[in-house]
Amino acid sequence: MIPSAYSPEAARGLWVFLEQEGGQLEGVALELLGKGRELAQARGVPLTGLLLGQGVEGAARQAIAHGADHVLVAEDPLLAPYTTDAYANVATQIVLDRKPETLLLGATPNGRDLAGRLAVRLRTGLTADCTGLAWEGDTGLLLGEVSGFGGGVMASIKCARHRPQMATVRPGIFPLPSPDPERAGRIELVPVSLEAGEIRTEILERVRHEGVDITRAKVLVAGGRGVKGDFGPLTEFARLLGGEVGASRIACDLGWIGRDRQIGQTGFVTRPKLVVVCGISGATQFTVGIKAAGLIVAINSDPEAPIFEEADLCVVDDLFPILEALIAELKRGMP
Amino acid sequence: MKALDIIVCVKVVPKPEEVTVHAETRTLDRAQARSELNPPDMNAIELALALRERHGGTVSLLSMGPPFAAPYLEVGLAMGADRAYLLSDRLFGGADTLPTSFALAKGIEKIGEWDLVLCGEESSDGATGQVPAGIAEWLGCSQITYAMDLALLPDGRLRGEREIRGGHEVIAVPLPAVVSVKLGVNEPRFMDMERRRSPEPVTVWSAGNLGVDPAWLGFEGSPTVVGAVWQAKSPERQRRFLEGMPQEKARLLAEQIRAAVSPQ
Amino acid sequence: MSEPAGVRVLDDFAWDEVWGAAKGAAAPCFQCGVCTAVCPWGLVQKEPVNVRRLIRLAQLDADGWGEAIWLCTTCALCEVRCPRGVPVSEIILALRRLAWERRSVPKGLPTMLWAVHWDGNPWDQPPSQRQAWAKGLDLQPFTPEHEVLFYVGCTAAYDRRSQKIARSLVALLRAAGVSFGILADEPCCGESVRTAGQEGYLAEVVAANVRRFEEAGVRKLVAVSPHCLDMFRSHYPPWDGFRPLHYTEYLAELLDAGRLRFTREVRGTVAYHDPCYLGRRHGIYDPPRRLLAAIPGLMLAELPAAREDALCCGGGGGRMWLETHAGERFGDLRIREALGTGAEWLATSCPFCILCLEDSAKVLGAERLKVVDVTELAVRALGEASLPHPALSPTGGEEKGEGAPVRGAP
Repeated sequence: MIPSAYSPEAARGLWVFLEQEGGQLEGVALELLGKGRELAQARGVPLTGLLLGQGVEGAARQAIAHGADHVLVAEDPLLAPYTTDAYANVATQIVLDRKPETLLLGATPNGRDLAGRLAVRLRTGLTADCTGLAWEGDTGLLLGEVSGFGGGVMASIKCARHRPQMATVRPGIFPLPSPDPERAGRIELVPVSLEAGEIRTEILERVRHEGVDITRAKVLVAGGRGVKGDFGPLTEFARLLGGEVGASRIACDLGWIGRDRQIGQTGFVTRPKLVVVCGISGATQFTVGIKAAGLIVAINSDPEAPIFEEADLCVVDDLFPILEALIAELKRGMP
Repeated sequence: MKALDIIVCVKVVPKPEEVTVHAETRTLDRAQARSELNPPDMNAIELALALRERHGGTVSLLSMGPPFAAPYLEVGLAMGADRAYLLSDRLFGGADTLPTSFALAKGIEKIGEWDLVLCGEESSDGATGQVPAGIAEWLGCSQITYAMDLALLPDGRLRGEREIRGGHEVIAVPLPAVVSVKLGVNEPRFMDMERRRSPEPVTVWSAGNLGVDPAWLGFEGSPTVVGAVWQAKSPERQRRFLEGMPQEKARLLAEQIRAAVSPQ
Repeated sequence: MSEPAGVRVLDDFAWDEVWGAAKGAAAPCFQCGVCTAVCPWGLVQKEPVNVRRLIRLAQLDADGWGEAIWLCTTCALCEVRCPRGVPVSEIILALRRLAWERRSVPKGLPTMLWAVHWDGNPWDQPPSQRQAWAKGLDLQPFTPEHEVLFYVGCTAAYDRRSQKIARSLVALLRAAGVSFGILADEPCCGESVRTAGQEGYLAEVVAANVRRFEEAGVRKLVAVSPHCLDMFRSHYPPWDGFRPLHYTEYLAELLDAGRLRFTREVRGTVAYHDPCYLGRRHGIYDPPRRLLAAIPGLMLAELPAAREDALCCGGGGGRMWLETHAGERFGDLRIREALGTGAEWLATSCPFCILCLEDSAKVLGAERLKVVDVTELAVRALGEASLPHPALSPTGGEEKGEGAPVRGAP
């Protein structure tokens, strides 16, 4: 066995790594605080947030309002942007010093960049990209639920003798907790010893994405010939769901929408959580572009349309009245 | 500028949609599954070959797996890789990310000459995505994860464009470095059939060849254990037809859509 | 003889390379230009594909062929018109082969080849789903005792629309009392590999398939797609007793032998589109027409360009895997021709043709014209008694419904 940095007997407490950008906590950090609160309560331990950055007092208070009992804040100008070396070095020092039993991180690009590095440095186990977390009844070990093989196979994984038990958690799995600004908690500044020379990464440029990239969309509303040139309702529907509009080849051919939104064999292959396919008959040319989607909804007036063979939820009806009613339904649920 | 010696870590995986969980034994049934080179590893190979074209040097493939993986490495050799190494030994079996990254790091050290290690962002079977960063830590070098493009800077450092939430960043790291490559960032070239017909032999190393403590390998060296395995969902789509007046269908649909989009 | 500027002088090596690639096929060309004049690309683009010039470049190995070699659908219209019998599409494929060696191929083709390699089909579909089209049909695994091997092919196996052709054909074979089986691990014939110009990989595919077919004891084989047929007939080494047939040929044989009978009326007019790989490539013009003519009540109309003159649908020569811009699709022209005949059906006998023509019919909004496969009309003409399996029973309504895969209860 590869020896653990510290033993289960020496380990105490549940920690959540609080990823932030420009002093704002990432959504997944808040989600982890919500789930972490529940897990901490069940186990009768405090919930500790680990917050690295510069100018993050606001984020620390935000973390307490969202469920943390205690926030360890490591502030340093060198921690202002995320870099592997700075974050791994500082987090290692604090973890080895305080010996948490469990450490949860968000499975974002930077969360994973850090977690993989940290787990090896701490010589411990890491359950990656969890879609569920629970304590095992008899042992009290953390059970991470993960999926593999394209989501077809699920497994639960635990880490018996190595500490901390590390897990990264997929964003969007756990609900956002409602903040309580009155919640009490302790913010503790921890000393940072970090030299510029330790950081090998230089950030040359950071770019927020502006243009449409349907391959990254979590939700897609795709239209074909059945939308008869009117993508307006689809666009509104997609916006309500925080998604993007996609299209079949024919819709692009007819000039109704740009090629950058074309799904399929000669367009883009996408992997959304949800795709709503509107007025597309469902030629293989198109469906190869959505086969990895989580849930496929098809709306088509033709009951024989092959798209229904490839869909989870099928609606045989005229597209626009259904869309109109759907938009009204979704708006109703909103504040 | 010096030539680049690149090692690409690749994995032979069963095609994900073909793997099922055996209903009674609750174990993975891979018998019917065809295997392939892990898709993002193909992108990593393509990127390595493109870098070799620009800067000269060599591309070596390194994999850990059963002996049947060797013909798959020959596919990578036919694409243009110069050499291939396979870590194959029962002692490597059942490894989680810690001993996997450890064994691969030891394999890389044994290959010797290298400036850059490329990996696919994650494997389609285990899907942890944590091995590349683990290798970098074992080797004590810098890393670029989720890279979309790479280039050498005039000062000899590696410039990488990597994904971050809601955008991307461009960073520079010194060599040697370990990089994980995003799925789909390039179109992997097809095999060169001349190379295909006369492949370089694949070098196979056992655990003994790496000269490491077997307790640090495979199942034995893994801190994590798999508790239970189950089938997530049928690969078949549900094909559930919603009934009722348009209003009613929209209501049912909105319910399902909310459940699919929002957490839990 | 003068050539346009830009043709460079050859070095011996390059000359050998091109000459070797095309196996000297370009030699007889005397540059008359008939090929360029008849190329269907001239109907949809301002600049026609200058076939004559491509051949000249192949003779001279200038690098100027560029994108044009990838436009060719290998429809062979130029070949039947060529006074010198130059196998133009062979030369085009040879140039594509050189393009692979120079790593200058259109985006998407390597991915298609990887799909053939990893998945055994160019549609990038899971191998385990290859038999999904036959759900509920209880088909037999092929044994040498069967009369024929039913070779479904990748498109009819995976494409939802084309699956209906395969299911209709099963109904027809059963109605005629044919004993047939399918290969559970049916391999891809390699047509898309060949037309992509990957001759080297094709040799690997063909060698493996021949082994597989010989092991299984395949003799008479019936293919759904003319493209698969062309592979088996023209690009596989013949072996003892191997007799690949297109289904239209085989069904016509069954008709002649009195095993297949059409007893139900199908009223209406049908125009028939000749697939290039069936017609010009293999001279199979009459069997599909005889099948349609044998259906009681059905009137047969001819398109203005039929048989040897037929216009290509645009899907051959690897074009299925490349984007053809709207307004440049041959299928649009073909649909307009069909509308002109007043027919309510445009029938054909190739899955690629069906996909291209249906696409064009949709874009043009040709509502009253239905694109169908010959099998789909034929299956409607079967009497009730000859329908041996409930899953194959026609719905009696629109031709679309026939043989549709079993769906979950609405």
